Amino acid sequence: MATIERLRDKALVRVLHPRGQPTAKAETLSLAPRLDSLEGKTVYLIDVGFGGGYEFLAAMKSWLSTTFPTVKPVLKRKAGNMLLDNPELWAEIKAQGHAVIFGVGG
Amino acid sequence: MDYVARDARCHGLDLPFTFTPHPLVGNDQSTLETYLRGNDPATGVPILEEIIQALTKSFPKSRQPVETAKQRLPRLLSSDNEANLQRLFVENGWTDGLPIILPTEERVAEMLSGTSHDRDEVVGRMTITTNQEKLEYTVEKVAVNAVMAGARPEHLPVILAIASIAEGSMPSSTTSFARMVMVNGPIRNEIGMNSGIGALSPFNLANSVIGRAWTLMTINLGDARLGETFMGSQGNTTNYNNMCCAENEERSVWEPFHVEKGFKQEESVVSLFLGWSVVNSMGAPNRRAAHEETAIILPAFPAHTSSATLIMDPLVARGLKERHGFESKRHLARWLSENVKIPAKQYWSADLVYAFVLPLAEQGVEPFASWHKLPPNELIAHYNKPENINVIVVGGETNPLWQTTDFRYTRSASIDAWRPKNPIPAGLRMPRAPVDLTCRGGACELPPASGRIRPDGPESGNGNSGAG
Repeated sequence: MATIERLRDKALVRVLHPRGQPTAKAETLSLAPRLDSLEGKTVYLIDVGFGGGYEFLAAMKSWLSTTFPTVKPVLKRKAGNMLLDNPELWAEIKAQGHAVIFGVGG
Repeated sequence: MDYVARDARCHGLDLPFTFTPHPLVGNDQSTLETYLRGNDPATGVPILEEIIQALTKSFPKSRQPVETAKQRLPRLLSSDNEANLQRLFVENGWTDGLPIILPTEERVAEMLSGTSHDRDEVVGRMTITTNQEKLEYTVEKVAVNAVMAGARPEHLPVILAIASIAEGSMPSSTTSFARMVMVNGPIRNEIGMNSGIGALSPFNLANSVIGRAWTLMTINLGDARLGETFMGSQGNTTNYNNMCCAENEERSVWEPFHVEKGFKQEESVVSLFLGWSVVNSMGAPNRRAAHEETAIILPAFPAHTSSATLIMDPLVARGLKERHGFESKRHLARWLSENVKIPAKQYWSADLVYAFVLPLAEQGVEPFASWHKLPPNELIAHYNKPENINVIVVGGETNPLWQTTDFRYTRSASIDAWRPKNPIPAGLRMPRAPVDLTCRGGACELPPASGRIRPDGPESGNGNSGAG
């Protein structure tokens, strides 16, 4: 039995790769221009809905207000659950905001 | 950091990320403020400094270019001996932790005899994450994972049907989902699936390997990688074979599940379910009827999609129909929808409801908006969609018990679409379970189970009389 085991372990085997083929092919996009500074800017803080995210962003909003008195932080929870799109809010941010921080809790 | 690279590859945008200690949920405000003023655990840089830098021109312009595509994987791995290949599969995270059958060319070729579809045909794309990179897989890739699971060619049509749905058995979620595979139609008996005694226990080859194949596909074709894409905090033992079984259509007094979903009785169909929780009835409906007992169990679940699935021994179904007048599964679902109620305060305090239902209530979506205005002790019939309450009949009639789950039905797929044009001869199919429980009316075409070898001689009972 031991001999059979040793022979089996020496025999070379070829096997197929079990993994699926990665497919991501995205068009490369550029980031929006960065700001010179946050002074006087409106910064949205968006909670996507996972637990703890809103409370964490609330702490961040408080820090922003204290550290940058001229910054206008806007804290919002996106509409719908975390898996759904919210184009109205994205449009609002584009129109009225200078920067956005998305918070994903959980 | 792998997550950041993967995200960039998917979306073509190298977004700046800052990580906090995890989890955030369940911490008090002072802990969250400590996290905020602390360092990003991935980079060691203070979180606030990192965020301010990311928003302003101090953010570095020249970062790594976004990698928008990966090279094609080789079809074959390098030759090696069996022991080293087993080790390679384990160390690369390509298994479920159990030994696998190595997918040699010969074994995969034999497996492919279980379908008439071309080995290069694309079956689907899958990821266990949300909005992240999907892996593409062919019939051959499915066959490779079926071999690894210990499946036989006759199981392949069921496994391909599962693969065609392109849902992972282990979603990325930190909440550790449970899943269930349910098979209906003639193929149950043709391949010897167990829908009777112990259908949900590990005895039956087809039940075991089909359910296991789904998880191996999830790992290898859905990119489940522990701590990278799969983040289930505790994990879920159902995922070893995903409660794979067949509905006991022959003993059920009600319409089979796949017929309820619009398939013909003679079609073979696989259906998938998703949830977290399974609660045994912990006794027979002896002093309280099964529907009333279920109405006591169901309020424990937040039911944020009004979903539940009852897995019911045929005896329970018969009792509900003959003694309590539930003529159909739908009839029972309607009764539960109307009679299961919890106080508004209990409902709105559930974390899942906070995450998924509260946003709808705030948007004015009914009935949630109205429920949100109710006094705390007002009762809500939170299983408000009876069509989302499923009933499946499984079991061997040794005791009228049932299992109440919070599972929601996700999708069904035709198994017949993946069958070979020339059926696999019965003699080439694998033996069935050690006891002939499922072959009724000769559907499996196999001879009765025989030649069982017992170490202590002729059959003399198993010494375990059980409690009945």
